[in-house]
Amino acid sequence: MLFLQLLLQGIQTGALYALTAAGFALIFGATRIFHFAHGTSFTLAGYAFLFCWNAGIPWWAGALAGIVAATLFGLAMERFVYRPIQRHEGSFFTVFVAAFGVAVVVQNLIGMFAGRGFAAVDTSLSRATEVLPDVFLAPIFWIAIAVAVVLFAALSAFLTRTHAGVALRALAQNPDLLRAYGLSSNRLSMLAFALGSAMAAPAAVLTAMTTGLNEAIGHHVMLISIAATIVGGVGSLRGAALAGLMLGVAESVALQFVDTQWAEAVSFLVLFAFIIFRPSGIFGVAQTR
Amino acid sequence: MTGPQIARRALLGTALAAPFVRPSFAQGGDPYVIGTLFPMSGPNGEYGKLFTDGAALAIEHARADGTLRRPMRIQAEDTQALPQQGVIGMTKLVNVDKAHYVLVGFTAVSKAVAPVGDRAKTVMVNGGAVGPDLSGLSPYFWNVIPLAHLETQAFLPFLIRRNLKRIALVYVDDPLGDAILGLLRTELPKAGGELAGTFSIPRTAQQFGPIAARVRQTRPDAVYVASFGAQQAQIIKGLRDNGITQPLVGYSALSIDSVRTLPEAEGVIFTSQKFDYTGGSEITRRFATDFKARHGGEPGAYNANYYNAVRLFALLAREIERENGTVNGDSLRATLLRVREFDLVGGKGRFDDLGNISSEIQVNEIRGGRVVPIA
Repeated sequence: MLFLQLLLQGIQTGALYALTAAGFALIFGATRIFHFAHGTSFTLAGYAFLFCWNAGIPWWAGALAGIVAATLFGLAMERFVYRPIQRHEGSFFTVFVAAFGVAVVVQNLIGMFAGRGFAAVDTSLSRATEVLPDVFLAPIFWIAIAVAVVLFAALSAFLTRTHAGVALRALAQNPDLLRAYGLSSNRLSMLAFALGSAMAAPAAVLTAMTTGLNEAIGHHVMLISIAATIVGGVGSLRGAALAGLMLGVAESVALQFVDTQWAEAVSFLVLFAFIIFRPSGIFGVAQTR
Repeated sequence: MTGPQIARRALLGTALAAPFVRPSFAQGGDPYVIGTLFPMSGPNGEYGKLFTDGAALAIEHARADGTLRRPMRIQAEDTQALPQQGVIGMTKLVNVDKAHYVLVGFTAVSKAVAPVGDRAKTVMVNGGAVGPDLSGLSPYFWNVIPLAHLETQAFLPFLIRRNLKRIALVYVDDPLGDAILGLLRTELPKAGGELAGTFSIPRTAQQFGPIAARVRQTRPDAVYVASFGAQQAQIIKGLRDNGITQPLVGYSALSIDSVRTLPEAEGVIFTSQKFDYTGGSEITRRFATDFKARHGGEPGAYNANYYNAVRLFALLAREIERENGTVNGDSLRATLLRVREFDLVGGKGRFDDLGNISSEIQVNEIRGGRVVPIA
């Protein structure tokens, strides 16, 4: 029964990791910008939801506020940080340092205004009850899975069945050709940032209900997102989502076999294993030089 | 360059320099530099504010009372509760800021910075960390908080009396967690209890549902939480949300607001120093009244400890000033060992040869978002 319990909890955690990682993968895949501040979008969305919840605003409006906060932050990063850098130099290191700096500043601003320390939404949805002997499940388990499935289905439909979605995929593959066809790569880049950042918001809302938030949570989110993007195959959305789910399950199920302190390390063991044995990731395409 | 341009630049320069200009004081001379090595950001940033609030109030009181001939000023360095950041901060405080006295917190940080302070003969005072091996780290390292072994000595008989004999320990993988593990391993059997299971967690761990599943399997009477900062609240929520109904217990780090106000923390039992803010000494009442006026709430043990740490400096430095001596690590230590007993918040504080304060311990329970002493 312990294995089943750990597996179910891993699926819940993995669903949230998948949502966050898919957002990062979408941005990175389409624009090749290493958006290290993606974790900050997550944090802002979580705190926006928390603020609304504490103010007595209906949950759906709070969730909407979270999506808006994450999206606006993503768009602002694209417009005012990454685009000017890319216009002049555009090196990976400059982009990374700029994003890291913004993440640190926003983290401290959140700490100043929302208070430093733990904050969580108090809801009965996160309280587990015994559904089988020694197996506990909370209503939020089903919500997390439903949200992940619906969002991935919607995103897949958008990317395959709409002009904007197809253009986003084209941006990832050949931006020069895209411009030759008269499409604006800047606009598509903004669309990628808006969609990718918005994807972090549902995970942030659910995290505020389950494990809670603190202003530094974005760094952990980024670690998982980067690991999932590499394991899933750089540029592959479904790869990142599957890898996020896999990392969540691995982190949890590992406790059946190893001591509790190794749970997080298991995620990175999986990452190292992929880097060594399948560097292109689950759905990545191997490239030779 | 025209006149108005010069004026504008001078005005701009003055405005930019304003934050760095030290204010003038009623007291004369260069200020005594009180360095602080607290986590001001990150998941433990909540402690930095608690610690600083207490220290700042003590400086204000010392200034109002004219305790010293020279003013005191705080020079803050953010450690993020990380040892390596602590060493960087301590090195700067000692070599650049020439700190007279440094306030530290967190077991891992304290142990990391102690050799730096020891070499520079700079007094370091801990009011937040409780690892038992902080005792005697250096002749210049003192503790104004009773260390964990004193808390567990008082706590274990209480748990046994409540028939909470099988204890599962969830502890953070750092010197504090290891110290609590060592104490429970040796002291719990002596008190008539047993460790039902031990669960080590990394400092960065966020998911506690799977750990709750492992804890449930040990069928404990109570779960002891030995962590700090935001992670404590995450552990408590994670355990309660995932079917742990047994009492949750711990040590003084649980007294922070983010735990106290957490609905899942209702009924959490923990130890702390004994403070009587209403019926205590005049110093205690003044501290409680002024703290409440300034911050709008009751002070906690950490506020009081760092108030005491700075007050201790003021009392020692006053003695040294009276003798026209120089305030430094050696004179502060010599005066501490000579005087030994001081009027501090909470009553008389007495220090042993290693610079450790002795204090009474009380057992508290969180009830309705309030910390209520129960034993």
